[in-house]
Amino acid sequence: MTALPQLLVSTVLLGGIYALIAVGLTLIFGIMRVVNFAHGEFLMLGMYLAFWSFTLWGLDPYFLLVVAVPLFFAIGLGIYALVMRGVIHASHNVQIFTTVGLSTALQNVALVFWTGDFRFVRPWESSIVVRILGAAFNLSQVIAFAVALLFTLALFAFMKWTHAGRVMRATAQDGEAATLMGIDTDRVYRLAFAMGIACVGVAGVLVSPLYSVYPTAGLQFVLLAYVVVVLGGLGDMVGALLGALIVAAVEVIGSYVFGSAWKEVIYFVLFIAVLVFRPAGLFGQRGAEALGA
Amino acid sequence: MLELDAVTKRFGGLTAVGKVSFRATEGEILGIIGPNGAGKTTLFNVISGFYAPDEGRVLLDGRDVSKLPAHQICALGLCRTFQLVKPFGNLSVEDNVMIGALTRLPSVAAAREEARRMVALCRLEALAGAPARSLPIGLRKRLEVARALATKPRLLLLDEVMAGLNATELGEMVALIQRLHAEGLGLIIIEHIMAAMMRLAHRIVVLHHGEKIAEGPPESIARDPRVVDAYLGEEFVLADA
Amino acid sequence: MRPHALALAIFGISALTPLVIRDGFFLDSLILILMWGAISGAWNVAGGYAGQASLGHSAFFGIGAYSAALMATRWNASPWLGMLVGAVVATGAGLIIGYLSNRLKGPYFALATIAFSQVLLIVASRWRGFTAGSEGVPVPFRPGFWTLGFASKVTWVYLVLCLALAVYLVQVYLERSRIGYRLAGVREDEDAAEALGIPSRRLKVMAVAASAALTSVCGALWAQYVGFVDPFYVFSVDLSIRFALNAIIGGIGTAMGPFVGSILITSLETFLRASFSDVRGGLIGIYLIIYGCLLIVVVRFIPQGLVGWFGQRFRAMGLYARA
Repeated sequence: MTALPQLLVSTVLLGGIYALIAVGLTLIFGIMRVVNFAHGEFLMLGMYLAFWSFTLWGLDPYFLLVVAVPLFFAIGLGIYALVMRGVIHASHNVQIFTTVGLSTALQNVALVFWTGDFRFVRPWESSIVVRILGAAFNLSQVIAFAVALLFTLALFAFMKWTHAGRVMRATAQDGEAATLMGIDTDRVYRLAFAMGIACVGVAGVLVSPLYSVYPTAGLQFVLLAYVVVVLGGLGDMVGALLGALIVAAVEVIGSYVFGSAWKEVIYFVLFIAVLVFRPAGLFGQRGAEALGA
Repeated sequence: MLELDAVTKRFGGLTAVGKVSFRATEGEILGIIGPNGAGKTTLFNVISGFYAPDEGRVLLDGRDVSKLPAHQICALGLCRTFQLVKPFGNLSVEDNVMIGALTRLPSVAAAREEARRMVALCRLEALAGAPARSLPIGLRKRLEVARALATKPRLLLLDEVMAGLNATELGEMVALIQRLHAEGLGLIIIEHIMAAMMRLAHRIVVLHHGEKIAEGPPESIARDPRVVDAYLGEEFVLADA
Repeated sequence: MRPHALALAIFGISALTPLVIRDGFFLDSLILILMWGAISGAWNVAGGYAGQASLGHSAFFGIGAYSAALMATRWNASPWLGMLVGAVVATGAGLIIGYLSNRLKGPYFALATIAFSQVLLIVASRWRGFTAGSEGVPVPFRPGFWTLGFASKVTWVYLVLCLALAVYLVQVYLERSRIGYRLAGVREDEDAAEALGIPSRRLKVMAVAASAALTSVCGALWAQYVGFVDPFYVFSVDLSIRFALNAIIGGIGTAMGPFVGSILITSLETFLRASFSDVRGGLIGIYLIIYGCLLIVVVRFIPQGLVGWFGQRFRAMGLYARA
């Protein structure tokens, strides 16, 4: 099958990006246990950051990363203080509609300021063709994958080997117990949220050369991110990675077999199927109780 | 009236309830005691239909109800309260009880009448219009009982209904239970408060690690060495003596 | 104040308005306010009274809209029939969503409903053979009652008012009836309700299915009024959020809440559209930014919504007696 190398590499490249988005979501969801409907909007903002930097100052998106990380981290801190803090211990409805309201507000801030026109980011890397295993890809995809992988690994290392990471994992396992142990859970949540937003903002910058940029671009990604996170088992980072690969594979193969038009149907159906039949994720992690399983 | 036949319930590798059998007849108050984690609430969950037993059967009036969902078991006359009370917080006390009454009564008006009777029986009239979430724990427990009573059960399962009550409230709850018994209601009570249990129960079943280790009238249970060992402790025997 | 005072006021004024005001634009706004109110009221049956906050109700709306449009264009059938067909199909979809509501809690349920509505969007926008794909379906205007072809806005006001009244009465029924109280128990605490003999799962499914059917009827009527069904609009997530928004701001779980919310929000939208119609399209988005922030504030600080909040104030002042 001559298509196999193409499919394989596509899956890996795409999987890396989805992993970064999902890992950010896992941080937020796994530790705060809040479903953030506005997650995709931060990705969208990352895309717009890349677009305007490129259009106004000719800045290559990849150089932008240096600025994007602290910028989105700061945005995460701000949003946490303004919106998320009050929502953590609130009822489901409050959580849902607060983040939905945030999502609506952010989408329309983009719409008002930058209009609904589709924008494109075309740095020089986009026009360079790279051959991997005989299949052709553009350099932007490869860079996006490489950087995403780097960030994901860095995050893993952070969670596993630093003190702060251990504290966060403890809080994720049992927030109440963590408080009783003297952990300032508010600081943990704040850090987790800010880091999660930084991840997704960076992901936005990285994918800007690969997708069109418009105010509601976040929607397809947020649903996808949730498919990945649910598939991988809520709150589990390794699971998120594996979930990302699986979703990427489904998308790539689905596109190949059915055409790209129907690939969204495939992963929506996959999403509902996983939620109904394997709510603990394919790898059976905790968090299932949150789904009412 | 109620019979458990070797009921077993497992969660993964843990056997929460293991081959428990006993009978509860009308006209008696059956007590269930045991240390925390003994499987008492799980047993209630199985009896009332929230869990289906993995092995064994639950028989109500001779009919196998093991696989029936909770709401059907309530319709058959068995009602339970929860250890961690579950009031309908945003609804008034009277509405809470009325929702219970609606199980048997077809009209809202009739149910409201019945609710008022139950509210009065449980001495909650002063707060009938207050939202349930505004009630302190002692009154919430009473609301829980009133609501369950409104479903006109023949057998009522009370799960640690005395926990968290002060001395006065305790006395009132004991009096209420005795009155209900006098009016013909069958009762199965889980309790940790031994003084109340010894006074109320005609027979006691003791659970430990999910298994029944003893059964009998309060006096013999209090002196049973296995029970003393597992749960009551030497001081209890001394105090009781 | 009697319990129906607010409804009498709002519906009464709506009924009298066409006798006094003939301006097309104004009447159009009134029709939209009542229409959105009715749709949000239909959402409220599932989201407010049954406690199942769905963010995918546009699925049912779209089913209704497409049913009416397709039955009229493909089979020359009366849109009333289309409304009926739509209600049946939507009930089926509602049963599926209802089943999901028994498997998934809160935010996961909401996510699944979004996914469901998006599946319908993609199917509708790609299935050229049946739904004319992404081009959408124009709804033919044929004058007459059975073809729901009314040129006069005045007629539409009264038609939509009937719909609004029907939705209002359904909600009032849920506040007073046996099934409504039992549903309230399910909403408050499902386990406790089960223990009291209430078939929680079945009731939830019924509520969602009823909500679906009502929403689809609204969708069918809307399609007739607006004259065009665009899949990217009728199945959009934005629309689903809009349905919930009106109900939450006005008062989730109250019968008039959705209408009050609709008055506030639709008026704001109409006003902004009129003010900024000459400016670049993007500025219209301002009203949505306001909604987004309003939603955040209301759901945190005034969770009972405007109607609930005012109701409490009036009761505290002894002016309002609960029936």
